[in-house]
Formats: sequence, structure tokens, C-alpha cells
Amino acid sequence: MSSGRAWHDRHLGYLFVLPATLMLVGVLVFPAFITLKLSVTPEGGSGWHFTLAHYQNAFRDPVLLQTFKNTFAFVAWSLVGHFTVGLGLALALNQALPGQTFFRLVALIPWTIPDVVAGIIFRWILNPIFGCLNPLIKIVIPSFPAEFQWLSSPTLAFPAVIFANVWRGYPLVMVMLLAGLMAIPRELYEAAAVDGAGRLKRFLHVTLPGLSTIILIALALDMVWEFRRFALVLAMTGGGPGTLTEVLSTLVYKTYFQFFTFEYASAMAILMSAVLFVLSLPYIVLVGREQ
Amino acid sequence: MRHKRTLWTGLAIAAISVTFLAFTVAPAGAQVKIRFQTWHWGEKPWVNALEAFQQEFNKANPDIEVVRDESRYADKETVYTTQSQAKAAADIAHFQHRPIPLFAERGYLMDLTPFIEKEGGQKFLAQWDQHALEVCRYKGKIYCLPDFVNPMTLLYNTVHYKEAGLDPTKPPATWDQFLDYAKKLTRAGRYGLGLIGARQEGLFMRFNPFFWGAGAEYLTPDGKHSALDTPEALEGFRFYVELFTKYKVVPPGVIEQGAQEVRTQMAHEVVSMNIAVPQAPGIIQALNPNMKVLEVMAAAPLPVGKKRVTAAEYGMRVISAYAKNPEAAWKVYKAWYSHDIQLRNFKIAGVLSARLDVRSSPDMANNKFAKVYMSQAPYAKLEPLIPEWPKIGDAIITAVQEAFSGVKTPEQALKDAHMAANRALGVQ
Repeated sequence: MSSGRAWHDRHLGYLFVLPATLMLVGVLVFPAFITLKLSVTPEGGSGWHFTLAHYQNAFRDPVLLQTFKNTFAFVAWSLVGHFTVGLGLALALNQALPGQTFFRLVALIPWTIPDVVAGIIFRWILNPIFGCLNPLIKIVIPSFPAEFQWLSSPTLAFPAVIFANVWRGYPLVMVMLLAGLMAIPRELYEAAAVDGAGRLKRFLHVTLPGLSTIILIALALDMVWEFRRFALVLAMTGGGPGTLTEVLSTLVYKTYFQFFTFEYASAMAILMSAVLFVLSLPYIVLVGREQ
Repeated sequence: MRHKRTLWTGLAIAAISVTFLAFTVAPAGAQVKIRFQTWHWGEKPWVNALEAFQQEFNKANPDIEVVRDESRYADKETVYTTQSQAKAAADIAHFQHRPIPLFAERGYLMDLTPFIEKEGGQKFLAQWDQHALEVCRYKGKIYCLPDFVNPMTLLYNTVHYKEAGLDPTKPPATWDQFLDYAKKLTRAGRYGLGLIGARQEGLFMRFNPFFWGAGAEYLTPDGKHSALDTPEALEGFRFYVELFTKYKVVPPGVIEQGAQEVRTQMAHEVVSMNIAVPQAPGIIQALNPNMKVLEVMAAAPLPVGKKRVTAAEYGMRVISAYAKNPEAAWKVYKAWYSHDIQLRNFKIAGVLSARLDVRSSPDMANNKFAKVYMSQAPYAKLEPLIPEWPKIGDAIITAVQEAFSGVKTPEQALKDAHMAANRALGVQ
């Protein structure tokens, strides 16, 4: 009787998590295993013959190397933008102002728009003929060229994509920072004020230290997500002009689905995952420490 | 306590059982569903032809239901590859000529030879455009039937011609004349020509006539090396690029423009000429219902360079190798390719059927646009249908974009594309 109860106690939990475990194995572990296997399978090969040739080719591939550089630049600038805009808006929306809830909701709108839709919206906004940005700028600066080319410009295409990505992605950082700001005890600000600290000093010595963990977690998470950003870039520029805005996810997509070189694309994807894992280490460490 | 544990255990088992049943047991119903996949479900006026077929077939065949399955032009191959890898592709799918050999090689497509043999073999096949049918043959088997054959011609706005002092009955006959016309048509807020620079396969349908017209080829005659390093290749490439960079007869933002964007520019009179497919007048009409397309637009053969040549879009439909009901799929497939449906498709969507008896019908022969397009079919040419083409094509699009945007000179961009093409072909 007691051994039956012990069996129940030990195994009932496993039974409950079994469906979720099976689902995770099906949608995460199995595809990851297949990708790993494909990455070491000779091109067009099958079965259990393995090669490291795709990895050797990847390390010698100038296009892949350039795309890694593009991706790091894309991630770095996106993070700077997300943090700057996110923190600024979080500070503003943390003030007790009329319509606070309304403005908080409005600020979240970009986050509700799917990547691909955001990409298409910006492509049309920046379109030199039918877009609305050029006429708006022309109202302010009459000498501005009416048919200015943003996405066709070798120097402006990349910043334009980053700008769109900053607009699309700042709400996540903003929401996290806003939650952090709301958790900072008001007494700390009052005590600092009593000690004669001005706005800047309160920000530097109360707000920032109070947010430091949240900032690190938000940026670590954002970094991982931006590294995988795909649909926005594809919809806006397709990687062009030439390959100037090509990022890793679009290159892997192209290699897999357009060149039909599944094996090489899988090797690229594995390398990308390895880099992502390294990038996500700060987040893992921080979360582990918090727990 | 014990009762509580038993209850929880029972609930857990019941939940798992329900989940299992939900995933494994199909809903009851004897009707066979055939997924009919094309990007045209979302495109006017094509969707009208598709819906008419769907309703008509479903009414006449209560045991089979044709189900709408949407793809997008830009990622139709991606969708199909993913579905095929999961062995869950649409039963019938629509592509252009380019991926047919690649999909056949990967085993995604059903060999239609046994069905064709039952229908009469060669006699059955003789009903279709034989050049287009060749695209369907791969390693001795037939994987598709050609649906439509769309050669490219010059579509132009006759009102703009008159405004520029040009005779609408005398379209440009040579490329030099074409440039001259484009310059005359370009004025404030309007451009002589719409060109494609976006990363999409439609680029080749516009680029190829310039390239081949200059006497260039993509590959050497043995098909083993890139031929992008020839003077003819540079001549054709440079002419295409300089229409934008030097002569400025193309609207700004050419790199962002795909086929639909250019048709939109044509519909809103931003451009006066376009190298277009036969269905373009219908699409332009749908984009701007106020334009009297039949009166305003005219079609003409493309100008002639060193040889008369045009590019073409071949529409193909395939049956998936993973179709669960091949007989039912073939029944739908055959109905789609029947004379009456194909003729109706022309009347609604303006595409030129690959069925010879439809092409010779009075409806098509007397149509203002169709007769010009049909006259160009003998000069239609396709890019090399080799497994390496996607990489070579990508290198060429990259070169076109780099030259358009000024990242590289046309010479350097084409040189780099030549090297990339050779790498794709395995040339050391």
C-alpha cells in the first residue's frame, strides 16, 4: 500500500509533463538533430555518412564572413537604438501624467505588428515615388529631393533597416525597463532628494543601479532575438543593394530554399546557433544568479 | 487521499488520451480534399478564374473537393520545399519553369507518365506546346504539363506616346530606337520605362531580352563555364544598368521594384513602357479601374538587337509525390487542363494557354494583346535549367543591384558575377 503511494508520488508528475515533453522533443529536439545531421552529411547524400566539409567551406566563405560582420553591426546598432528609445520612453511613461495608460498602450503598438508587415510598411514609407517620407521631409526642407532613394542607397539602406528594426523592437526593452522603474522604491528618490541630489544624480545613483540587472537581462534577450531577425530584412531589402544588408538568417534562408544546398545551409545554421549560445550566456548566468 | 490520487491519475490519463486522439483520428467524411496551391488566389483577375473552376468542379464532383491553398509568388518554392520535406505538400502546385528539374531531382514531384500513358501517351501530349513540354521532362519522365506560355513583349501607353510626339503605331524596332523613345517619354514626374531591380526571378524576364539581344549567353556552349566575361555580356548588362544610372529613363528606387511595383507605376502613369507578360493589361486594369487599358495600352514585339529574342514565363502545375489520392488529384489536374477551362482562363486572366487548340481559337487570335504575344512565342528563350542556376542567378541579381546602386562599376559587378558563377559550376 505504501509502496503504491510512493510510486504515485514519484511518477505522477512525469505523467503530467509527458505531453509537453513530447511536444518539445517534436518541435525542438528533433529538428535540431536533423539540422545537425544534415550539416555533416555530404551534399546530396543520405544515411549515416558524415563529413566536416561544409564547416571547412563555411570558415573559408567570404560571403558568410561578410554576413557575420553585417549581422553583428545590425545587432549592435539595434541594441543601442532599442535601449536608448526604450529607456527614454520608460522614464517618460513612468511619470504620473494624465493619459498615462493610453500613452503606454500607444507606445506598445510597434510590438504588435508582425516583422514582415513592419518591413512592408517601411518599404512603402521609404518608396521614392509612392512613399510618404520624402514629401514630409520636403515640407520641412523644401530643397530636399522629391524622389530621394533610401533603400537603393549603398550608404543609407543599412541604417534605414536598422531604424525600422529599432521602431519595431523598442517596446520590449521599454516594457521591461518600465517594470524595473516601477519596482524601485520611491523612498530612495525621496532620500536622495533630501540629501540634495538633483535629477541627474538621482538618475545616475538611484535609477541606473536599480535597473542594472533588468538592463542586462533585457539587452541579453534582445541581442539573441535581433541576431535571428529575418522577416523584416527580407521584406524591406531582400539583403540588397547587392549583399549590403544581408544578415545571417536571410543568407541561411537563401542557401537552403533558393540554392537547395540543404547541407551547407544547415552547417551555417549550426554555426549561427553556436554564436547565439555564446551570446546568450550572460542571460543564462544572470538568470541563474537571480534564482 | 487515495481517492484524490486516483482521480488525478484518471484525469491525467484521460487528458493524454484526448490529446492522442485529437492528433491521430481524422474527422469523419468520405470526401477527398485536393489542395490546389497557387499564388494567384490572392491576385486579381486570376482569382476569378480559379474560383470559377473550383465551384464548377466541386459541383460536378461531389466526391472530390478542390480546396484553396495559397502561396506567395516570392516564396512559393520555399513553401513547397518545406511542405515536401514534411511529406505534406499541396496535392497540386503551381510554379514557373525554373524549379521543375530541382524538385524532380529531390523527389518532390509525382511522375505523371503512367497517367499520360492511360490518356493516350504521345497523342495526348501532342496537344501542348512542345518547347514548353520539354521543361517537364526530367531523366525520361514527365513531371508536369505546361499551363501557360507567356513570352515578354513591350507594353506601352499610347497616350504618352502621342504627348511625346511619337507615333503609337510605330513602336521602337531596335534597342537604340528604344532608348531614344524612353528619353522622349521621360518628363517631369514621368519616366520612359519601368525596370525591375528587386531580388526576384521576374528580373530575368526583363533583363534577359537585353542580355540575349546583345548576343550574350550565360554559359559557354558546353555548359561547363560562365560566359559572363564576354564583350556581348558586358554590352547587354551595361545597357540594362545604364538605362537607370546614365540615361535616367527609369524611376528612382529601381532596386526596390518588382514586377507588381512596375505594373503599379504603369497603372498610375508614372512609367510609359514596360517589358510585360500577357496578363499585365488585366492586372493594370485591376490596379486602376479608371484607366481604359484596352484603348490606352498597346503591345509590340521587343526591339531587336543582334538577334530577335525574348524571355518567357512558363507556368507549370505539378502533382506532389506525397499526394494521398493520386487518382483524385489527376482528375482535378486533367479538368484544369481541359480546353474549356484553359480558354476561360485566357478570357479572365489573359494568360496564353500552352494548349495548341486554345491558342488557335478565334478568341485568342482576335485579341489585341494576345496576338502580339503569340507572335513572339517562337522567339522565347529560357535561362539554363541546371541545378546551379539559382546560385548563378543570385550572383547576377547581386551584380545588377550593385551596378544600379553604384557600389561597383558595371564591369566590376559583372566580373564578380562571372567568378561567382564559375564557383557555382565548380570551376577552379
